[in-house]
Amino acid sequence: MNCSSVDLKAYFLGESARTEKSSVEDHIRACESCREELERLRLTDAALRSLIEEEAPQRIAFVSDKVFEPRWYETIWRSGPAMGFASAVLLAGAILVHGFARDAAPVTAPIVNTAQIEQTVQREVNARLDSAVAQAVSATEAQQTERMASLLDAAEKRFEAKRQDDMAVVQQAAKVYEERTARLLVAVNDRETPAQ
Amino acid sequence: MIFREVEDRDLIAKTRKGHVDAYNVLVSRWEKRVFNYLLRLVGNREDALDLSQDVFLKAYQNLKKLEDPAKFAGWLFRIAHNEAFSLLRKNRPEGEIAGELKSGESSGRMFPIELNLAVQSALGRLSDDQREAVLLKVYQGFKFEEMAEILSCPVSTVKSRLYTALDLLKQTLAPVNTGGTE
Repeated sequence: MNCSSVDLKAYFLGESARTEKSSVEDHIRACESCREELERLRLTDAALRSLIEEEAPQRIAFVSDKVFEPRWYETIWRSGPAMGFASAVLLAGAILVHGFARDAAPVTAPIVNTAQIEQTVQREVNARLDSAVAQAVSATEAQQTERMASLLDAAEKRFEAKRQDDMAVVQQAAKVYEERTARLLVAVNDRETPAQ
Repeated sequence: MIFREVEDRDLIAKTRKGHVDAYNVLVSRWEKRVFNYLLRLVGNREDALDLSQDVFLKAYQNLKKLEDPAKFAGWLFRIAHNEAFSLLRKNRPEGEIAGELKSGESSGRMFPIELNLAVQSALGRLSDDQREAVLLKVYQGFKFEEMAEILSCPVSTVKSRLYTALDLLKQTLAPVNTGGTE
């Protein structure tokens, strides 16, 4: 393999096929100019990755619109998974009680309704997902509230610092004005004294 | 017991059922990446924010058309690419060579560190297509095939843009060491 047939950039970017990768590595070990080229790619990549990611200056969020909200019958229909989960729990409890309460019976092959089990599991998964999404929503909202509070706090501090600076400038200006007035008064008095 | 992280596809499914809150969680997961991609592409913070909002609104309106939720990232960046290039074409008359990013936006105010300025300047000297290829590969970690889908072009074009961009960036950011100076 010679330098021109080596796709060093694809190798560096992690896009080489597994079979190609080892032959490129063999070539790099033997070729100094390709090693230097690879080093330059690494430096370039490191420099590029040093760019600071900015926070979006304003949070993007959408509010619910009546047009997109589910209809009342959809809401009832979608409450199915939660109701299904509750039913499954009740059913499991009933089976357990029945198992303890009834007399020992001849052992027969259990009738397993896999479709029902799958349905129950799916319902449970859906219920848990609903709950997890709700948690994620509240966590995100809490983060945003915290971020907003911190931004407000920083803005207040900036405003206070600016106010202090402005006050200092005003005080300085007032002092200069007073000094000038005093000097003017002295000059006026000096001019008037010889005339008298 | 079933424990697993809420994935994008869960949020997409909930959004499709009309849950805006789930979509807002999805937005909060992606807004920083999309905003930074657009910021580095168009070089203006206000434009990047406006475009980000448009991108997420369009994504919301078209979410039902997304066939495979596993391809959400590429699909979202495809919308972002279209929005960004629509703006770039509007702002730049046809035939004009892509210049550096606006100097006001690449000033120390954005990236106070000297290296950041050098990187920003080097990226600004690339054409829009070349810069976008770098943004998608280096910063967003997309594969060549995914980039080709986002950009609606062959993989060979993606590679050509990216390789040329890397060569140009290398000249500035990792010059050949010839006795300390180049």
